[in-house]
Amino acid sequence: MEMDSLPNGNHATGTPITATANPAPPPPSNLPQLTDSLKLEHQFLRVPFEHYKKTLRANHRAVEKEMSAVISGVNEAADLSPDDAVNHLNSLVSRLQGLKRKLEEGSRVEHLQAHKCRVRLDHLESADAENMSEWSNTRLKRILVDYMLRMSYYDTAVKLAESSNLQDLVDIDVFQEAKKVIDALQNQDVAPALAWCADNKSRLKKSKSKLEFQLRLQEFIELVRADNNLRAITYARKYLAPWATTHMKELQRVTATLAFKKDTECATYKVLFEAKQWDFLVDQFKQEFCKLYGMTLEPLLNIYLQAGLSALKTPYCYEDDCTKEDPLSQEAFRTLALPLPYSKQHHSKLVCYITKELMDTENPPQVLPNGYVYSTKALEEMAKKNNGRIICPRTGLVYNDTELVKAYIS
Amino acid sequence: MDLSSIKDAFDRVAKKQKLSSSKSQEVVDQVGREIEQALATIHSPHDLSSPVDQKSVLTELKFKINAIGPLQQLEGSNKELNASLSKYQKLLEKVLNPDISKAYRNVDFDTRIINQIIANHFYRQGLFDLGDSIVNEAGEPDATALRSQFLEMHQIIGAMRERNLQPALTWVSANREKLLQIGSNLELKIHRLQFVEVLQNGTRADALIYARTYLTPFASVNKDEFPKLMGCLLYAGRLESSPYSELMSPIHWEMTTEELARQFCTLLGQSYENPLSVAVAAGVEGLPTLLKLANVMAAKKQEWLEMKQLPVPVELGKEFQFHSIFVCPVSRDQASEENPPMLLPCLHVLCKQSIMKLSKNSTRTFKCPYCPAEATVSHCRQLHF
Ligand SMILES: [Zn+2]
Ligand SMILES: [Zn+2]
Repeated sequence: MEMDSLPNGNHATGTPITATANPAPPPPSNLPQLTDSLKLEHQFLRVPFEHYKKTLRANHRAVEKEMSAVISGVNEAADLSPDDAVNHLNSLVSRLQGLKRKLEEGSRVEHLQAHKCRVRLDHLESADAENMSEWSNTRLKRILVDYMLRMSYYDTAVKLAESSNLQDLVDIDVFQEAKKVIDALQNQDVAPALAWCADNKSRLKKSKSKLEFQLRLQEFIELVRADNNLRAITYARKYLAPWATTHMKELQRVTATLAFKKDTECATYKVLFEAKQWDFLVDQFKQEFCKLYGMTLEPLLNIYLQAGLSALKTPYCYEDDCTKEDPLSQEAFRTLALPLPYSKQHHSKLVCYITKELMDTENPPQVLPNGYVYSTKALEEMAKKNNGRIICPRTGLVYNDTELVKAYIS
Repeated sequence: MDLSSIKDAFDRVAKKQKLSSSKSQEVVDQVGREIEQALATIHSPHDLSSPVDQKSVLTELKFKINAIGPLQQLEGSNKELNASLSKYQKLLEKVLNPDISKAYRNVDFDTRIINQIIANHFYRQGLFDLGDSIVNEAGEPDATALRSQFLEMHQIIGAMRERNLQPALTWVSANREKLLQIGSNLELKIHRLQFVEVLQNGTRADALIYARTYLTPFASVNKDEFPKLMGCLLYAGRLESSPYSELMSPIHWEMTTEELARQFCTLLGQSYENPLSVAVAAGVEGLPTLLKLANVMAAKKQEWLEMKQLPVPVELGKEFQFHSIFVCPVSRDQASEENPPMLLPCLHVLCKQSIMKLSKNSTRTFKCPYCPAEATVSHCRQLHF
């Protein structure tokens, strides 16, 4: 039994399944639709690529730095006494040996990350009509792991990834980096966050991020809170002043706290001392983090759920007789869908009340004398069982199968 | 979608990475060799009358390293690598949709509800470990409301997989009334599985006793099935070579297990298909259309956020069709309680407002827009889909 496969068939929950029912057929899937859904996978390819790029950059920077140091070391050697010069050159040789080892280790990591990029490309390529149901299951798991990582439910994310062997298809490794920073921020420690900003300085600058400024402001506030005014002022000169040209207003507001202190009742300044400022920093960091790695700012799960619920939402969903197979028959999904728009149809789509199957030219709708409409298939089966009698399931009225008329829906 | 061009572009990245990496190795080796050579010259045995001029060795080393230009070499290979990296990134952005959150409405999407949905998603699949894990990490103890029911369902199913029908029978007899109400004949089907087991593994007498005890209550309701099962009694122990051999097929076990799961969910008031899977699958199908729409509407962000109905249809597969939607072919309006679908005497269907318009408020007969037939409003009947 597959509990989590794509919905297929339209089995009525209340209708006993006859022995002729085959195991559910694979969901219909056509190629253009598959292509469209693969185009949604930008993040899936982008994140490991950003990770790879990051490693490449860091490795390059490390070599460059070491090499510059060695070159200036050689230049300095000329000014040393003969013995010192020899010692110095020897130390440069071992330094280069160390660099060589580092390079080897570095390219090992690069290879691993390149491999991950390839695995994902192959995974996208492997999607086809035959394995669609399994592939979609994996996609849902990926989407769930993405949600859990963003929500910091790391244990569950790791468990789900490991139990389904998805490690290369999810970004647990990338989020490890975020976890350190987030944990520290939750303990009111900005150091790892600042270190992260320094690591990604040029890219953050390019995207006009003010995360570092916000972290600095918070450090300043903490100094004011601790009544450490002199240090607060020194701190402000050193770390806040550089932001003055671009963020003057905020800067002034925060430095004004010097006059108010932590127990101020003045609303403008009071909020700055509230603990939720730290939650705000966590959110800010998460946003920057996602941006840097080319992730969507919202969890994928929320994006897909919104789109799905909107496409499924009809005015009938909020009525009591909404079929149980419709996610929107459930309170939880109904609540989520409340602020979303209803779907729109340009053409009639009629679903048989009895079989829940689509009524179309192959299985046309038949009208009972009371105006209730059911599919030909359902009524034929009912007539066969009851010697030609039709019992309207919604009104209990009994008719003869000769009284049916076929309706033409265009 | 052109995945192969993406793959090619990545191959180029990997090639440049290899080049750059071996370049770095080479440069480090070169510089290392020069320094070692200089050291060797300084240490070389020499007679004291002509001491090695250490200064000139060092100057020469400086000169040689300068000639190698290690930093320039590193920079050169890195530049090439960077070019291929940005090409790849641009290609990703071109071939794939770089921001699928464009159609996202920034509304309050309650995390607690989502967590609860995820916990149930795991529970209903029998993944109790994962369900409990997210309940713990998210701190949502209320999300376990359905846990014990799904646990019971999975215990029954697990037992059935091991050909133990006892838990299933206990459950059907405890829920006999409710199952009857939904027209279920699950109980007979489970007894049939057990009966076939007895026929194969027990004596004819055992089978007869089983049939008398458990199958006879169904004799009057299942007029076709019962005699067939009794017929099997003639072949106890050699059912495989009887006209009833089909009954031994494992497919009956699979189908009955699935049916039990379905009916278990029905009695729980739950769907059989996983609602989260359904909603997300619908999202995957619908999102491309929504993204196109969001692009078109980018300039009217406010309208996008406020609209009560999508301006265009989002086509979903028929597996996502849960409700009858009648769209009037004349007005293109969706039928509603105030504007219901009406059947014309010619058997074409229009919605009420269109009929009123055509008949000038039921003051005259009108011609069906789809055939030459004439009709009056009083001859039209309201339909219920
Ligand atoms: Zn619905
Ligand atoms: Zn007509």
